[in-house]
Order: sequence, then C-alpha cells, then structure tokens
Amino acid sequence: MNWRLSCILACWLPLAAHAVEVDPVPSVMWDFYHKQFLAQAPFVFDDRVKLLAPPFAEDARQVPLEIDARAFNGHVVKILAWAELNPLPKIVDFQPKAGVLPWLSLRIRIEQATPLRAAVLTDDGLWHVGSTLIDAAGGGCTAPSVVRTQPGWEEHIGEVLGGRYPRGEFSRVRVQVAHPMDNGMVSGIPEFFINHAQLRDQDGQVLADLELFPAVSENPNLAFDIDAPGPTRLVLRDNSGNEFDAAIP
Amino acid sequence: MTQPARRQPFALSVLLGAILLSGQAMASVTDEDILQDPKNPGQIVTNGLGVQGQRYSPLDTLNVDNVKELRPVWAFSFGGEKQRGQQAQPMIKDGVMYLTGSYSRVFAVDARTGKKLWQYDARLPDDIRPCCDVINRGVALYGDLVFFGTLDAKLVALNKDTGKVVWSKQVADHKEGYSISAAPLVVNGKLITGVAGGEFGVVGKIQAYDPKNGELLWSRPTVEGHMGYVYKDGKAVENGISGGEAGKTWPGDLWKTGGAAPWLGGYYDPETNLLLFGTGNPAPWNSHLRPGDNLYSSSRLALNPDDGTIKWHFQSTPHDGWDYDGVNELVSFNYTEGGKEIKAAATADRNGFFYVLDRTNGKFIRGFPFVDKITWATGLDKDGRPIYNEASRPGAPGSETKGTSVFVAPAFLGAKNWMPMAYNRDTGLFYVPSNEWGMDIWNEGIAYKKGAAFLGAGFTIKPLNEDYIGVLRAIDPKTGKEVWRHKNFAPLWGGVLTTKGNLVFTGTPEGFLQAFNAKTGEKVWEFQTGSGVLGSPVTWEMDGEQYVSVLSGWGGAVPLWGGEVAKRIKDFNQGGMLWTFKLPKELVAKH
Repeated sequence: MNWRLSCILACWLPLAAHAVEVDPVPSVMWDFYHKQFLAQAPFVFDDRVKLLAPPFAEDARQVPLEIDARAFNGHVVKILAWAELNPLPKIVDFQPKAGVLPWLSLRIRIEQATPLRAAVLTDDGLWHVGSTLIDAAGGGCTAPSVVRTQPGWEEHIGEVLGGRYPRGEFSRVRVQVAHPMDNGMVSGIPEFFINHAQLRDQDGQVLADLELFPAVSENPNLAFDIDAPGPTRLVLRDNSGNEFDAAIP
Repeated sequence: MTQPARRQPFALSVLLGAILLSGQAMASVTDEDILQDPKNPGQIVTNGLGVQGQRYSPLDTLNVDNVKELRPVWAFSFGGEKQRGQQAQPMIKDGVMYLTGSYSRVFAVDARTGKKLWQYDARLPDDIRPCCDVINRGVALYGDLVFFGTLDAKLVALNKDTGKVVWSKQVADHKEGYSISAAPLVVNGKLITGVAGGEFGVVGKIQAYDPKNGELLWSRPTVEGHMGYVYKDGKAVENGISGGEAGKTWPGDLWKTGGAAPWLGGYYDPETNLLLFGTGNPAPWNSHLRPGDNLYSSSRLALNPDDGTIKWHFQSTPHDGWDYDGVNELVSFNYTEGGKEIKAAATADRNGFFYVLDRTNGKFIRGFPFVDKITWATGLDKDGRPIYNEASRPGAPGSETKGTSVFVAPAFLGAKNWMPMAYNRDTGLFYVPSNEWGMDIWNEGIAYKKGAAFLGAGFTIKPLNEDYIGVLRAIDPKTGKEVWRHKNFAPLWGGVLTTKGNLVFTGTPEGFLQAFNAKTGEKVWEFQTGSGVLGSPVTWEMDGEQYVSVLSGWGGAVPLWGGEVAKRIKDFNQGGMLWTFKLPKELVAKH
C-alpha cells in the first residue's frame, strides 16, 4: 500500500468511493505538473471535482469550461486549473471565500487535444484533482486575435458586460470583459492580459480572488455563484498595470 | 513581460505582483545612492552619471594608454523585428544592467554574462504619435523599482527582480500627441518626468509622482497661462499660473496649444536644490501666427523639486521660427574665476550657441557659437538674447499656400540635438556632439486639430560640407575656445562619456564606438558594433575590472527627417544590441 492510499484510508475513508488511484485521463504530463504546480503534495483523482467541457472544441480560441467543486463547499482553499498540452498551460488560480461557491465558469484557449485539470485544495491539505479530455483541431493559442482586427479596440479595454441572475439558493454573476488577452505567442505582439481579478462585496470584502493566465480566452467570460446578499464589484488588473472596476448590482 | 522558463511558481495572487523566489538579496536604490552617483564605481543609478549630468566617471583604471586593450566581453540582442533607434543609457545596480529599447521595451541583463533576466514589452496602442522614431532614453531606479515612460505617455513602475508591473499611470493622452521618450529622474524621493509632443500642439508639462504608488504630487505646465498644481490627499491645489497670467507673450488663444514640451527630461543640481529642464519648440512652427516671445518655449527652466514652482528661466530662442527646441541638457559645473567659485550651468543649444549661465539665478554669463555656421542670428546681446537676422526668418504665407523660403543654418535638427554632452573635471572641457547642417524652410497656413501634426512649415535639410556633418568638439566653457574637433561623415546622434582616464567616448551612425584622448582629440580606440551607435556610453567597475557599455541600433530622427542628408545614411542598417567591453585585469599593468 503506498502513501497515497494509506492516507486516503486513514483520513478520508468516507471519500474513498470517489477517489481513484488511476489517472482517469491518459496523460504523459501528470507527474510533471504534480511536481511543478502542486509541489508533489498529496492528492487524489476525485470525480467529485467536475470539469465540464465540450468533447470537441468547435472554436479552439473560445472553449467553455466549467469547474464545479461544490461537493467541497466550505472547505475549498483554492482551485488551480490547467490544460496539460497547451504551450502556456495555466488557466486560473481561483480562491473562493465565504459567500462564493467553489464553482467557476470561463472560456479558454486550446492549442491541441489535451487533458484538462482542476486541482482543488481543501482545508485538510489534500488536493482533489478533477480531469477531463477535450479534442480539438488546434491552434487556439497561436491564432491571430479577433479583438485586434476591430478598429478602436483600445477604446473598449476593460469594459465589462454582464449581470446577476437569481438561481434559487444563490445567484449567478456572469460577465464578459473586453480585453485582447494577448498571450505573447503571436509574433510582434507582447503579452497583454488580465492577470488578476477580485470579486468584492458592497463593503469591499473579498469574495473571490483569481489569478488569470494567458490560456484564458480574449474578451474573457467569467461566472461565479454567490450565496451572499448585496451588490458586488469586480476589480480587474492587467499585466500592464491597467485597473478596471465594474459594479455588478 | 517575457521571462525565461527557469522559474514559474504558481505564485499566490497579490496585487503587487509576484516576488522572485530565486533572486539574490540586493540593496534597493536610495536617495543617497542617487546623490552619490558616480562616486560608487560599482553602480550607475542616474541618467547622466550623476544628477548634474556631467557624464564624467572618476574611474581611471582604463586610460588613454591602455584603452587599446579594451575588448568586448558580451553582447545582448534586443530581438524581435522591432529594430529601431536605440538611445538609452544603461543603469547598473548589484551586477544587473537595466536599459530600454525601441518600442517601449525594458530589459534586465546580468552585467557579468549578458544573460537576460527579464524583459518587459509595453503593449502599445496602434495610434501612438511619436514625432521622431519609437525610441526611449532609459530608466530610473529607486527602491526596488525600475521606472520608464512609454510611447503612449504612461509612466510604468516594474519590480526590479521580476519585471512585473507594480503600477502604471497615464501621464497624458497619447491621442492628443503626447508621448514619453526621456528617462525619468528621482529627486528627493520624487519621480519626475516631462512629456513629448511639441509637433502636435500639446501643452508641455513636468510632473512629479510618488515612486511607491504612482500618486501624482505636482504638475507644472511649461507654457505661460496654464495653472500648476500640487496634490494633497488626492486633491488638486492651485500652485500659480506658469508665467503669472495668459497672453503676456502669446497672442490670442495660441498658448492653449503652445507646445514647449520638455521631451528630453532634466537633471538636478543638489547645491542649489533645483531641477534643470529644457523645453521644446513653440507650436506651431510658423512663427508669424504667434508674435511674442512665447514663454516658456525653447527655454531652460529651474524648478523647485518639492512643488514644481519655476525659480528662474532662460529663453535661448525667443519667438522661435526654426524649430530650435531648447531642450538640450543644462549641465551643472563649478569653476573658479578671479579667485571666486562660480556655480555655473552650461548648455549647447539646437540654435548653435553654447551658453554658460549662473545656475543660482539663471543669469547669462557668456555665450558663443559652437558650430561653424549660424545664419539666423548675428550674435547674442549682453543678456544672452539673440540678435536676429530678420532675413533668415521664413516669410509669412499670407494668402499664398507657401511663404518665402529661406536657407538657414543650423538646420531644425539642431547644431546639437538630444545627444548629451559630457564635462570633464580634469580638463575643464565640455565634449559636444554637434552637426553642421542647414535647411531650406518655409511657412504654411495651419489650424490646430487634436492629435494632428501642428507645424505650419515645410523644410528640407542639407549638409554644409561634402566630407562631414558630425563634429565632436572639445569646448572650453570659460573662453568659448574650441580646443579640438573630430569630424564624422554622418551626423552624430549619440551621447558622450568622459573619464578620469583622460578619455572621451562616443558613437557614430556608421556603427563605431570610439574613444578619444580628452586633451588632444586623438582617436585612440574604436570598435564596430554592427549598427549605428545612438546610445550614451557608461563605464563602471565590477570584480576589480573597468567595464564600458553602450547600445547599438541605428534610427532616431535623422532617417525620418533627413532630407538630402538621408543620402548619407540610407545604407545604414538598423539594429538592437547592448555591447559590453572590459579591460582585463592582467592587461592593466602592462601599460
């Protein structure tokens, strides 16, 4: 019995039904990312971390991805997501606080067919890794930007469209932010992307902290589930130091 | 921001950017470091090798006898397709070199090996409006931050270890024609910058920011009639109209688009606690549209660094009609005359005259031509005001589309342009990179339109001599005497460095970095860098050896505005390299 399993049996026996020893998606990269992103910390592959993505990326530049760790609601420290075979694999580092569910929806770029991962760190120090596979024709990370072909795009940087929609127990905030999210892989165009987002409540309390990476699509779409009352604000910052502040009632 | 892949920790999100995990413990740059520069031979933390801008190094390990052993140790390419004019002066702190390249790029390079540590590429909008190439003249260092201005008129602060943006502030609107090309400077804990844009009818201004967070502290317009402000707790408090009131030296509404952009930045004199800035041409170029002296265009300004108040001004070209910007650096130096120490400042103007001023009050001490041909003025009066040759002012267009054209020397690109001169405390001489050229210039009608060129003039530039345009001159500021000259075929466009080792360094558009005997002007060393040298060389000491670095990369204003001069330079290739040389230890004793 290796350390992983003993750990599971000792501490998380009730969870064992959801944890699997074998990587649910075939990946040559898991050991590498386990070391690089999770510092070889204890983990389980866990089907309660749900990654919802289409089986095939119709548009490799705009692939919808939903990360659902609501099974661990109240115990989530952070969620890291990445696309294993992307040239720039990291997608997001999401830290939901009290008032926001451990659920996130966004759109990403896919360079080729790849395993997608979301690793959820719970407050007991264990990483729960959700996985899925996506097929793609490819090229989403190196294709020319659509935003940049639109004249006057600079005028609209940081504009936020969206709203808040009641969904019974909680409400869902959905936004789209105008930004080219240049990832630096198109020749002659330097990196220019939103690298930080914060969802705050009416008192300025942080509801969620996000570090974003250039695997996030241009004109990023983000959605959060909020179970706290009152209006919210989304504060964004890009790697050029531009700051944007959107009120979401 | 691009960075080698050697470290990519999943940094916890913090608003101020990631902290380097593998970085060495390094001291941050203090006010004292800045004021002491260049006494600490291991670092260069000011643009100008000292806040006074003398560009004089007290190092003498490398000297006129052993300079022939100076050899390259590494070269660093700026990469990409963006090879345009490279005009920065590198800074060195704790074995790291910080410099800028064309298109608002910043590099941090290991000074020992030339290995890139990080690179920051500003994301520029498509509609930037630089008048004269997409150049940048370097960074400022303070605390743990690296500061520079962008072509879209932002001031950006980067973490010195990671190159990540700590803050970014819009200094002015690039759509009105503003940009920033000069290196900012830090004085008494304030980060100070000018702006460019005199060709677009902007209003020149000098502004101070809190280096920690980019908060605006004061703003001083350089055109008469505009209100200056100091900022207290985020609120603007009026601090007096520049020049007292509008309309005194400007007619009608033209002061509202008056130019006078302090685009070359400035220096600081700790002895008088004054910021010394130059201002650019009045807008538009057509002087018949704006009778009067047009203050403070084509002037030198002394400002209180605490609040931006103008303490004195000296206007080198009142009512400029030739694009004789007065931005040229005002270099503080002391000399003795009749047993008395004079606190002076010297400047070599675009208009062809060299001025020595009393820097305590801006009074004119003396002035003299430093180029062979000046036609627009016959001399200077006792206060330093030019005695105009009215026949050399291009005519008013009247009802015609074009006024009478006149031939004038120097050309609008100036007897000396942006390239900074150096002052050697041992020889008492200024080393001035100058150019001998003239122009045909005529006026045209013009109306102001936001963001469009606001010149009202046409021009074409011409060499005065077949065999040279550039002349590096050694000039005695006490007598006006030219001690030596060295001619160059193409126009000189690079900065000058002088050292205690009796050396003068400067570069040529032909690609050579050259060294001269400071006393005699004899060329004692040169090295072909592969592209034109427009940068300002520096020298420093590391591991007991003396180093020299300079940027190479042809471009700048000459190829864009060169007229007939363009024929001399059209075959020069562009580039983007940082070259570093040293005198190996074992060769020091040999000579």
